[in-house]
Amino acid sequence: MSVIRTENLVKKFWRVEALNGLNLDVPEGAVYAMVGPNGAGKTTAIKILMNIFGPTSGRAEVLGVESARIAGPAFTSIGYVSENQKLPEWMRVGALLEYLRPFYPSWDRALEDELIKQFDLPRDRKLSNLSRGMRMKAALASALAYHPKLIVLDEPFTGLDPLVRDELIQGLLERAEESTIFVSSHDLAEIESFASHVGYLEQGRLRFSEELAHLVERFREVQVTFDGAARLPEKTPENWMQINTSAAVVRFVESHFDSERTRAEIRGVFGEVRDVTFSPMTLREIFLAMAKAGRNTA
Amino acid sequence: MNQILNIFRKDLRRFWREIAVSLAFLAIYAWSEVRIWTGERSWDSVFLHSGLPSAMVLISWWFLITRVIQGEPLVGDRQFWVTRPYEWNKLLSAKVLFLLALVNLPLFIADFVMLGKAGFPPAHYIAGLLWMQLLITVFVTLLIAALATVTASVVQMGLSILGILLYAIAVASLTSEISSADFASTRSPWLTAALLIGTALVVVLLQYARRKTLLSRCLIGGFAVAVVVIIVATPYEAAINRDYPPIGAGEPPPVGLALQPVDPVKPGNTFYGGDTVQIQIPISVSAMAEDSIVIVDGFRAAIESTGGVRWNSGWRPASNTIFPEEQRTWFLFTMKKELFDRVKSSATKMHLTVAFTIYRDRSRTEFVIPQGEFSMLDVGLCTTESPLQRGLSCRAPLRGPAFLLVTADAANSTCPPAGGENQNERRGIARAWDINTSSGPAEFGINPVNSFYLQLRPSQGVDMNWARGAGLCPGTPVVLSGPVRERSNRLELDLGELQLYDYRMGGYDAYGGDGGIMLGTHH
Repeated sequence: MSVIRTENLVKKFWRVEALNGLNLDVPEGAVYAMVGPNGAGKTTAIKILMNIFGPTSGRAEVLGVESARIAGPAFTSIGYVSENQKLPEWMRVGALLEYLRPFYPSWDRALEDELIKQFDLPRDRKLSNLSRGMRMKAALASALAYHPKLIVLDEPFTGLDPLVRDELIQGLLERAEESTIFVSSHDLAEIESFASHVGYLEQGRLRFSEELAHLVERFREVQVTFDGAARLPEKTPENWMQINTSAAVVRFVESHFDSERTRAEIRGVFGEVRDVTFSPMTLREIFLAMAKAGRNTA
Repeated sequence: MNQILNIFRKDLRRFWREIAVSLAFLAIYAWSEVRIWTGERSWDSVFLHSGLPSAMVLISWWFLITRVIQGEPLVGDRQFWVTRPYEWNKLLSAKVLFLLALVNLPLFIADFVMLGKAGFPPAHYIAGLLWMQLLITVFVTLLIAALATVTASVVQMGLSILGILLYAIAVASLTSEISSADFASTRSPWLTAALLIGTALVVVLLQYARRKTLLSRCLIGGFAVAVVVIIVATPYEAAINRDYPPIGAGEPPPVGLALQPVDPVKPGNTFYGGDTVQIQIPISVSAMAEDSIVIVDGFRAAIESTGGVRWNSGWRPASNTIFPEEQRTWFLFTMKKELFDRVKSSATKMHLTVAFTIYRDRSRTEFVIPQGEFSMLDVGLCTTESPLQRGLSCRAPLRGPAFLLVTADAANSTCPPAGGENQNERRGIARAWDINTSSGPAEFGINPVNSFYLQLRPSQGVDMNWARGAGLCPGTPVVLSGPVRERSNRLELDLGELQLYDYRMGGYDAYGGDGGIMLGTHH
C-alpha cells in the first residue's frame, strides 16, 4: 500500500515550474528520503502533500486522501516538521506540548515525557530562547508524541551540529516501526545511514526512486585499464555515465551494474582489455554522478 | 468545543497585554464621559480632550483584533498551525468567541454602566445596547478582522490602512467631480455598505476555510473597483427625481421663494477658492404655513447667459432649515473662475431646483426652563449649567431625538444682558433644534449617551444684535415640539435674469439691510 502517491504533479509559480510531472510512490513502512539539489522542488512537493498549497495540475494522495482535502482531523495521523516552519516562539516548550495535547486523541503523555527526556528539552524555556537545533527537537517531539502514521520532515538536519542530528535520527528511527517516514534532505551522508528508499528530484522531476540498497547495488565506479593508450569509442551504452580517459585508463559510472553483463558490455565496446575493476559508490558519489550527468537513469 | 476553548485560552494567555491595554482605554473613556454627566469635569476640558479616549479605544481594538486574528496567520505558507489538526470552523469560532468576550462584552458592560451614570435606567435599553453591539461588530470588528485575515503582520495591516485612506481620499475627490454625486451619495449609502459587509464576510470565511489569500485580496480590490463603478454609473438625477417628486399639479408650494435683489457694495471684492468662485444667492422666504418647517436637503442651480453659455451646478447637498417666521435664506455654490469670467457681466437667467422635506409642527408643549438638571419631553436630560451658557446641554439614551424643536420669544428670555445690550430691545422668535436622520434603535458608536447642545438662533432676516444676550436660561418660557416628517418634494424656481458678478461671495453685504445670518450650504 502506498502512503504517498503523486501522479503528474505540476506546480507553477507564475512562469517558474517548480514541479514538472512528479510521480512519486512511497510504500508503507518506508523511510523514504527525497534528495536533490537546492531548488529541485523538494519543499514544493512536500507543501503540496501537506495541502499548504495546491498543485497547478496532477494529483497527490496522502494516506489514501487527496492532498487537497487534507486538513483538520487528517493531521492527527501526520507529523510534519520543516526547517522553515514558524513555530509559536512566544510559547514555552511545556506550554506548546500542553496546548497541542487536546488536538490529538492519540497523544501519548508517556511518549511525550520520553521524547522530552531523550531530546533533553527544557519544558520551561521559551521556543524563542532555544537554539535552532533545540527548536527542531521541540518541533519533532510535538510531531511524534501522538504516534503519527506518517512523519514528513522537510530538510530537518540543515544547519544542525552532528550531535543534534544523531539525536533526531535516533528519535526518528525509534518511531520507524510504527510510522512511514518521508524526509527531504540534501544531507546525503545522514540519509544513507537510515533511509530505506531514496528518490532523486532534479528540476521538478523525479530522476529515480527506489530502495537504497538496490540503488547502491546498481551503481559502480568502473575502471578499465588498457595495455596501450586508452581509446574512447564513439558510442557507449546509455547506462554508462561520466566517461573519461587518462593515459591507459577509462573510468565511468555504471548505473545498472551487473557483474557479468557489465563485463560483456565492456568487451563489446573495447574488445580485450588488461584489467577491469568495479568499486562500490557512496550515496553522495551516486548523487554527484547523477547531478553531473543530468540525465535520466531511472 | 474543546478545540475552541483550547485556542481561546491560548489567545487569552498570549494577548493578555493587548487585552489589558484595550480594557484600560475603555475604562478611561467611560470614566471620562461619566465625569461630564456627574459634573466632575468641565466642558472646556471635554472640548479639548474628548476625542482622545475614544480614539485610543478604537486604536487598541484595532491592535487587539489584528493580533488575535494574526495569532494563527492566514497569509503565507510557513505557519505552524496549518499542519496541525485545527478545524477551520472551530478556529474561526475561537476567534469570534475571543472578540465577543474581549471587545463586545466589555463595551456592553461599559455602555450599561455609562447609561446608568448618565441618569437612564440601563435595563430599559437592552435592545438598543445590543443594536449598538451589532453595529460595532459589523462596521468595526468585522472590517478590521477581514483586513487582518489578508495581511501577515501589524505593519502590513498598518500599510493597508494607509492605502485605504488614500483610496478614500481619491474616491471623495472623484465624488466631488461627478455632478450630483456628493448629494445623492450622502442619501443612499446602503448599497455600498451592503457590498462592504458582504465582501468582508466572504473574505473572512474564504480565508479561514480555504486560505485563498490572493483571491481574497482580489475580492477586496473588486469591492474598491465596484465602489468606483457605483459612483460613476449611478443615475443620480433619476434617483433624486424619484426621492423628490415635483409638487403635485395645482398644489401650492409649502414655501414661497424668490430672488432677493442685492445692493453691490464691494465691487472689487471676490472670494476665490483656487480656480473657483463662490456664488451666494439670497432668497426671500414667504407664505409658509404656521405649522410647517421646510428643510432644504439640496439644490441645483442652472444658468443660461445671453451669450448662450449654459451651465448647471449639479445637485448640491444643503441644510437650510426654514421656519415660518423666516424672511430669507441663501444658496451657496461654486463655479469655475473661467466660466464665471465669461458670464459675470452679462445678463444671466438663473433657475434653481430645490429638494426639500416638509415637517409638521403641531404637537407643542409649553415649558419653563427650570434650574439645574431636568427631564425634557421624551428626549432625555438637559441642564442650563454649562460654561457655554445661554443654551441647554442635553443627553439622550442611545440616540438623539428625531427632531426636537425649542421655540422662544426673545423678549421673554431670562438670560442676563450681554455687555452693552439693552434687554428691553430683545424681540422676535428664536429657535433651537436638533435633528437626527439615522434610523434604528441606537446610533453607531461606543457611547450609549447622545450629547447635544441647544442654542437659540434668530430668524433669518432680523437684527443680528438680537442674538447677543437672549438665550435659554432658568425661568425662560419656551415651546417644545417634535416636528414630524411629512414628505419630500422638489420645487422649480425661476429667478429671472441677474448678473452673477453681483452675487459673488463678498460682492455684497449679506448681513446689511435687514440683516440675518446665513445658514449656509455645504458642498
